[in-house]
Amino acid sequence: MLSIKNLTASINGTPVLKGIDLEIKAGEIHAIMGPNGSGKSTLGKVLVGHPAYEVTGGEVLYEGRNLFEMAADERARAGLFMGFQHPIEVPGVSNAAFLRLAYNKKAEADGRDELDPLEFDDFIHEKIKLVAMREEFLDRSLNEGFSGGEKKRNEILQMAVLEPKLAILDELDSGLDIDALRVLGEAVNRLQRPDRALLIITHFPRILETIQPQFVHVLSGGRILKSAGKELATELEDRGYDWVLEEAAAGGAR
Amino acid sequence: MTSALAGSNLLADLLNGPRPAEWAPLREAAEQRLAGRELPTTSDEDWKYTDLKLLAGGFSPAPEATVDVAGHLLPEMVGTRQVFVNGRHAPHASCASAVPAGVRYFPMSHASEACHTLGSVGNGTAKGLFEDLNTARFQDGAVILVPKNLKVALPLHLLFITKAESPVAVFPRVLVVLERGAELELVEEHHGEGAYLSCPVVEIRVAEGAILRHERVQRESPEAFHLTSLKAEVGRGGQYHSRTLSFGARLSRQEPRVRLAEGADATLDGLALLDGAQVADTHSFLHHAEPGATSHQLHKCIVDGKARAVFNGQILVAKGAQGTDAQQQSRNLLLSEAARVDTKPQLEIYADDVKCSHGATVGQLDPEELFYLQSRGMNADDARNLLTYGFAADVLTHIPVASLRRSLRQLVMARTQAGSLGELS
Ligand SMILES: Nc1ncnc2c1ncn2[C@@H]1O[C@H](COP(=O)(O)OP(=O)(O)OP(=O)(O)O)[C@@H](O)[C@H]1O
Ligand SMILES: [Mg+2]
Repeated sequence: MLSIKNLTASINGTPVLKGIDLEIKAGEIHAIMGPNGSGKSTLGKVLVGHPAYEVTGGEVLYEGRNLFEMAADERARAGLFMGFQHPIEVPGVSNAAFLRLAYNKKAEADGRDELDPLEFDDFIHEKIKLVAMREEFLDRSLNEGFSGGEKKRNEILQMAVLEPKLAILDELDSGLDIDALRVLGEAVNRLQRPDRALLIITHFPRILETIQPQFVHVLSGGRILKSAGKELATELEDRGYDWVLEEAAAGGAR
Repeated sequence: MTSALAGSNLLADLLNGPRPAEWAPLREAAEQRLAGRELPTTSDEDWKYTDLKLLAGGFSPAPEATVDVAGHLLPEMVGTRQVFVNGRHAPHASCASAVPAGVRYFPMSHASEACHTLGSVGNGTAKGLFEDLNTARFQDGAVILVPKNLKVALPLHLLFITKAESPVAVFPRVLVVLERGAELELVEEHHGEGAYLSCPVVEIRVAEGAILRHERVQRESPEAFHLTSLKAEVGRGGQYHSRTLSFGARLSRQEPRVRLAEGADATLDGLALLDGAQVADTHSFLHHAEPGATSHQLHKCIVDGKARAVFNGQILVAKGAQGTDAQQQSRNLLLSEAARVDTKPQLEIYADDVKCSHGATVGQLDPEELFYLQSRGMNADDARNLLTYGFAADVLTHIPVASLRRSLRQLVMARTQAGSLGELS
């Protein structure tokens, strides 16, 4: 589904990604962990086409297509989604109207029928149940004045509405209370299908107990230093990152 | 003809019109203050960016006219409306049958009891030129008196409509008095066709603990001039919340002046949507005269074409007005190279324990917001239109009259090219 080869990228002339290789197949769940500032959010934003980042080298294929030849909105309509670490507030645009617009743009691209406001009403009520969101949040302006946790819930609601093929969830768990973490984790699981894939960026193994990855990668200094199975997450919690860095340094010197 | 001559002729012409018999002393005093005055020019600091030379063509007194008001009626307010056409009350277009007993709501031409209040709001401060012009020549207007502790459930609707076949001048007048503990929601709309000058004056007295919510909608014709002043006095613990929405007029000027007594609370929000060669100027004055009052001001402009927006937000915190909390935001979106915004806060603070904040932004859409929408599948044009719509619609979100909110959202959608996105509310 997604194939990243030797990807390098900079922001404001500063290199942040320094050669990323990663292969994600349909049906897989991957987790990325790593120290603050190591480039995790950057990787996600480069993949979904944030204009502030400059891709300086490497190649990314998404379903066989060169990702960098697609505009950000085209990538989204092709099934790529990122739940952001810090979602943006958009005053004056109601959450419901925004969700319906987004849904209909995607439906149009997929050749499915668009939903009128009444049909969308029924549709969205099922979706807000899935993420246990209160109805009043639909009438409010998009993310405006939402708490940190409420914004994250709204990101997952958007994911549920758009049903992406590949969802990158950047620190979904930070800012969530214990119940919300469980509810949203389960919602993400319910959205997962054999033809879809997930990339979970997190600092904590807890969320990975609900959304169980087959692969855990350690990203540090713009490179993936180690990849292993799910057990790596707990090991990192016990031991920190230093040993991975040392191991990688030793490996690199060899 | 030189512009100075045109200016003095204009004032003289306007004063040459018929002078109604009522309120003679008030009118004489206004005429005396106007004697020898001329229209301000751009060398006058207060009119630096707003050139009244455009008015030079002159205006004659507005003749009687009839209009079809059906398209202007709003379901919540069909039974609470007073309509004025070309400055005169239109009894057949008006209907106040749903107004609760106790509220006095009638045309000024029927008023005598309100005489002592009329013209006295804001006394002790200077009268503006257009305010005096209105006092000297207004024909009619609305009087609203809400007695002690009466909370009026239905909003009241004032419609001022001008129909001009040749350039005419109209002087709408409004007086609102809320007694202690009273509550009222008022919608004041200005519409018109043709080229004309409208100089409305609104006087408001909100007594102790009373609450007035005031929506002001300016949808004058594209050739019209709209120069309005508003004076409000808010008593102890009283609240005055206003939202001024400017869509029409070739040139418009808003001069709200609000005085806050102890613990009073005021909101002075504004939105101007401008394109072509439109000019919209707001010169506001918030007077924190006593301790513990709060004020919030959010003024937003979207400026396209070679239009121009002007905002001058004066806040005066008097000596002794401790515990004042005043917040002012001027936010402006420029949609074209030739569009212009001149925004200036003007804070004068003579007390020491105060919280005053102000900020101004002038610019384009936020790239982070654009990207967020694009990342959900919207193309760049749709994202831009949606954000432009949202920038304006933000000011409309809390309009309590649902039908008015809907119709203004639709107007904003049409004006921001967001119409193609479908229903947005
Ligand atoms: N606009 C910018 N200008 C300069 N440097 C930037 C900018 N944006 C990000 N960076 C830098 O890029 C690096 C990677 O940031 P990124 O947000 O990808 O880290 P992260 O791994 O997601 O960290 P965290 O775990 O704290 O979320 C950081 O050193 C950050 O300071
Ligand atoms: Mg991050």
